[in-house]
Amino acid sequence: MDELDTKQPQDGALLVTPDATKAASKTDGAAGDGKAEDAAELLDEILEMMDLDVEVLIREDDERVVLDVEGEDAGRVIGKKGQTLDALQFLLNKILNRYPDGRRHIIVDSGDYRERHDKGLENLARREAKRAVAEGRVVTLQPMSARDRRVIHLSLAKFEGVTTASQGKGTQRRIQIIPARRGGRRR
Amino acid sequence: MDAVDAMRDLVAFLARSLVDDPEAVEVAVVEGDRAWVLELSVAEEDLGKVIGKEGRTARAIRTLLASMSARSGKRAVLDILE
Repeated sequence: MDELDTKQPQDGALLVTPDATKAASKTDGAAGDGKAEDAAELLDEILEMMDLDVEVLIREDDERVVLDVEGEDAGRVIGKKGQTLDALQFLLNKILNRYPDGRRHIIVDSGDYRERHDKGLENLARREAKRAVAEGRVVTLQPMSARDRRVIHLSLAKFEGVTTASQGKGTQRRIQIIPARRGGRRR
Repeated sequence: MDAVDAMRDLVAFLARSLVDDPEAVEVAVVEGDRAWVLELSVAEEDLGKVIGKEGRTARAIRTLLASMSARSGKRAVLDILE
């Protein structure tokens, strides 16, 4: 009897409901190092100094921290071509990952902006790759960030008949889409 | 609060968060012909921290300032004193 009585509460404490376990595992391990909360707080502080009316939500999994900025001024937080979003993300990572221990990549997003942006890049890549093949000449894209170039390189990795390369330095680095056969249909 | 003060505060806040010696961070506001100039000074060893590789950190700070400028109509540029 006594044994049972002392065991039961212990079992109860260990065997939490599946939902609670899920919630707990979200705050344990990699996802529970407080980094997401630190990042959200810091971003919130910066956005408040910029006098932007938004709130910061945390979308987190084991590998990455995604901060989702929502609200009336979300468009301003994204900025022209996502420039402001990228600047915020860059600074946040610089500040929070200053020390080698516990580094985690932080992504700043607003709704599905990054997903839509990547889809747009993939469409552009496909369209320009078709053109490179049809015209049989190298197509050079606008300068892009390393991240955006990577999206394009990856999306064209399996595209028949073209290879990709990067050319130029720093902010002027551009993707070149190179057709396997130059001169197009004539050859 | 005045828009320029808010921009100065943001630059100071970011710089202090980036450097090893936050007490050495100072931001002076200078009125220029076409824009306010925010003159940022940091400890010599921290210069690289606020400028960044290929100037990326400074560029990110400038992007945020540009966003604030666009809204308030008061233009401010960042000058990192070396």
